[in-house]
Amino acid sequence: MDYKTEVVIIGGGATGAGIARDLALRGIPSILVERGDFTSGASGRNQGLLHSGARYAVYDPEAARECVAENRILRHIAPHCIEPTGGLFVSLPEDGFEFRGEFIRACENAGIETVSLSPREALALEPGINPLLIGAVQVPDGAIDPFTLVVENIRDAESRGAVVFTHTEATGFLRDGDGVAGVVVRDLLEKKEFTISASWVINAAGAWANRILALAGLSIPMSLSKGSMLITNTRLSQRVLNRCRPPASGDIIVPNSTVSILGTTSLRVDAVESFEVLPEEAAFLVYELSLLVPEIKSERFIRAYAGVRPLIRSGETDDDRSLSRGFSLIDHQKENGISGLVTIAGGKLITCRLMAEKTVDFLCEKMGLRAPCTTAEQRLPGAGIGRSLQDRLLHMRREIPAARQEILCDCELVPRDEVEAVLKEGKVRELRDILHRTRIAKGTCQGGFCVYRLLGMLNELRRERNRGDSNEILMDFLEERWRGIRPILWGTALKEEELIESIYKGLFNLSGELSGGQEAGERGRR
Amino acid sequence: MINKCEKIPDEARMPPRFADACVRCANCMAVCPVSRVTPTFPGPKQAGPGAQRFRLPSEASVDDWITLCTGCKLCDTVCPSGVPISRMNLLAKAKYLREQGRKPRDWVLARSDLYGESASRLATVVNPLMKNTVIRKILDSVLEIDARRELPSYERQTFHRWFRARPVAAGGFTQGRVAYFHGCFVDTNETDVGKAVVALLESQGLEVALPPQNCCGLPRLGIGDFRGAREMGARNIASLLPVVRDGVDVVFSSTSCGMMLRHDYSQILGLAGAEELAEHLFDVSEYLLSLYDDKKITPAFLPVKVKAAYFAPCHLRAMNIGLPALELLGLVPGLDVQSVDADCCGLGGLYGFKKENCAVAEAIGGDLAKAVARIKPDIVITDCEGCRMQIRHLTGLKVVHPVQLLRDSLKPLPVTG
Repeated sequence: MDYKTEVVIIGGGATGAGIARDLALRGIPSILVERGDFTSGASGRNQGLLHSGARYAVYDPEAARECVAENRILRHIAPHCIEPTGGLFVSLPEDGFEFRGEFIRACENAGIETVSLSPREALALEPGINPLLIGAVQVPDGAIDPFTLVVENIRDAESRGAVVFTHTEATGFLRDGDGVAGVVVRDLLEKKEFTISASWVINAAGAWANRILALAGLSIPMSLSKGSMLITNTRLSQRVLNRCRPPASGDIIVPNSTVSILGTTSLRVDAVESFEVLPEEAAFLVYELSLLVPEIKSERFIRAYAGVRPLIRSGETDDDRSLSRGFSLIDHQKENGISGLVTIAGGKLITCRLMAEKTVDFLCEKMGLRAPCTTAEQRLPGAGIGRSLQDRLLHMRREIPAARQEILCDCELVPRDEVEAVLKEGKVRELRDILHRTRIAKGTCQGGFCVYRLLGMLNELRRERNRGDSNEILMDFLEERWRGIRPILWGTALKEEELIESIYKGLFNLSGELSGGQEAGERGRR
Repeated sequence: MINKCEKIPDEARMPPRFADACVRCANCMAVCPVSRVTPTFPGPKQAGPGAQRFRLPSEASVDDWITLCTGCKLCDTVCPSGVPISRMNLLAKAKYLREQGRKPRDWVLARSDLYGESASRLATVVNPLMKNTVIRKILDSVLEIDARRELPSYERQTFHRWFRARPVAAGGFTQGRVAYFHGCFVDTNETDVGKAVVALLESQGLEVALPPQNCCGLPRLGIGDFRGAREMGARNIASLLPVVRDGVDVVFSSTSCGMMLRHDYSQILGLAGAEELAEHLFDVSEYLLSLYDDKKITPAFLPVKVKAAYFAPCHLRAMNIGLPALELLGLVPGLDVQSVDADCCGLGGLYGFKKENCAVAEAIGGDLAKAVARIKPDIVITDCEGCRMQIRHLTGLKVVHPVQLLRDSLKPLPVTG
């Protein structure tokens, strides 16, 4: 079946989802296509930092000012996706105070509130910091849950008429003379091709933007920069901790719900799917960040992951950190003479709403529509739902025993009804889709002990569509999981992994399922 | 709402990386007596290392289920990763109770050592009062001490008074001296256990000393009162350490007091001198058995035609010393003793007396009662006073400490001279 709409959005990341919501709020019909599930790219592979703008204040004041404004807006429209933790920029003896003065002035200029703290005051707030610190500056940084943010943007858009196809790849453009008149897409699960004709196609494919443009013979100057991160088992600090020095690799710790995320590295890569965390990156992060929080040396990690930042290049520079984190809206009619195609690229998670606003403003102008943007005022549907750690413990205390309900994920306390509610929405097509919509498999065991509990549910889902089997799903999941935990396997994590391996090999007989040494565990060990 | 702003001693704070050692094997979930009987308690893994990831030091605790932990320590005994689960739960409970405020009842029960001696002096008045249904109803509704549970009666002469008043023992102690830590319950409520310990030790040529001693502090620790427990511990260490430095070992007959002295003083309270003391502290049966194994003593017991069920208390098992009392009982000719196949009696010391916990305690004990009934014993033997109370309550059978039976089957000392 072929479709017709006003706007096609390619990419279900933060930007694409934001655009779908913005269009829906302005009454413009749209269809979004996403090759995997939402947040499969950089939107789901970042540090979850709700920037106050302080990190960009000195070297990218424009990006800093955008952060200040968007930070405020996100706190209003998506309070349930945000932990307003506050952040500290910590000066260690080797950092000196040289940068600090400049930093405080730059923050002032960008409108970012700062409070200077003595070492004693900083340690009272965060006892884990290196006690040798010489000072700290407090800023309104925070943590953000990108999965919920994106999924709720989509939910809101869908409830207002937008249509979404996940696991559906754009394979070509429908052409209309010199212009683009829609896309040819392929449902990767059903293996069916169909077309969506539209007046406008928005390329919001993030790091894959050039792959989409190549379908029209185009490209934009873009650098791909891999950033690797490590997740700790427990939360290390209550606040975001930064080194107070020019932004560099391995200088931020972001608390996020039950865990902390250590980041990041910055490596220029050629391939978009460069998601492997190298052992030297893990070692680097542990060493660098243990200077900030010494306990990190003995901390237990639960996963390593990497994201690829799409950075728009203007002029020659070799240092990806000095490239602007700003975004570009490219009208391909103006640039290349191809009408109906727009690329929105670059930017940051925190500016996704602004990027959507600018993109839709541009379309409205082209369409001659006068429809103001309301995404900064209209709150997301889930706003007001308690998701704090306390709320989750309380839920487990009150609801679960009362209903004698099963907890599917022990580590993150996800009860069965939460998963069933996600399944009932009917939007889930893959195991990973469930994982993006709940906190299942985000805890200590990374799904080792709970994912098999989902297979019964999934199998029903699969049977309906007459596709695949549970073993295949489980193997896919374990392969992906293995990539994430292999770089951090030492100490207790390694011990637990042996236990988990024996569950899958011994109880599920998964090693017998495969031939040719394809077994997840073995491959990595060679 | 007592003591809302009490200062928190360091050992009452959760060390930051405590949750990390858990590999989620769930062995502890299989032995937890509480989660077996109530879905309200999520089990040691979930209540301990699991919930710890959700507790922020800056936020008030919301997991009130933590007060359901009886502190039996069975989880610790099966953990292959050395996670101090019961300690985590104790710390979490302490924090919760500190924030919520403890009930006056908790303070009354946890400080029974302060009024035990007076109650003994007034035993003739106090005992009938504690059985009076009107008084029990008042205690039930005002203090929330469950009326369904018998309160232990007091003895008119405390054990330590008896010990001092008794005629000086004849000499001829060939095995040297040993000091006895009797604990509060033996002192004021079950003096015969103490008398049996003395008789048994003396019969084997050991001179018994009674160093000054206080409540071990376990009841205070059980309500998260680290300060109070510490105070008790420091006093006991001050009194017992010189004794062991003189080369005299200390035995205890209460496995819970023993667990507190031997393990909790050092591992939970971090008291100075606790580890040194622990090396010279022994369960009384463990001590006698090791003398027997070293062939230093050869106790001779008269045949006893009794069928007995032996229950190993949780804290005995947590001490990881085997079942020394059961082995000693095996030396008694004619005694048919079988081990009770159950995990925990459920009383948890003061836990089961609290109105809100009574049902849980009864439910846990229900399985024990069934296991005892299967044996059809004449008497039940167990080392812990809490277990004895609970088994009497549940089965109506006679329940004794191993030393009492051993004493009763001793041959009379040969008359010399």
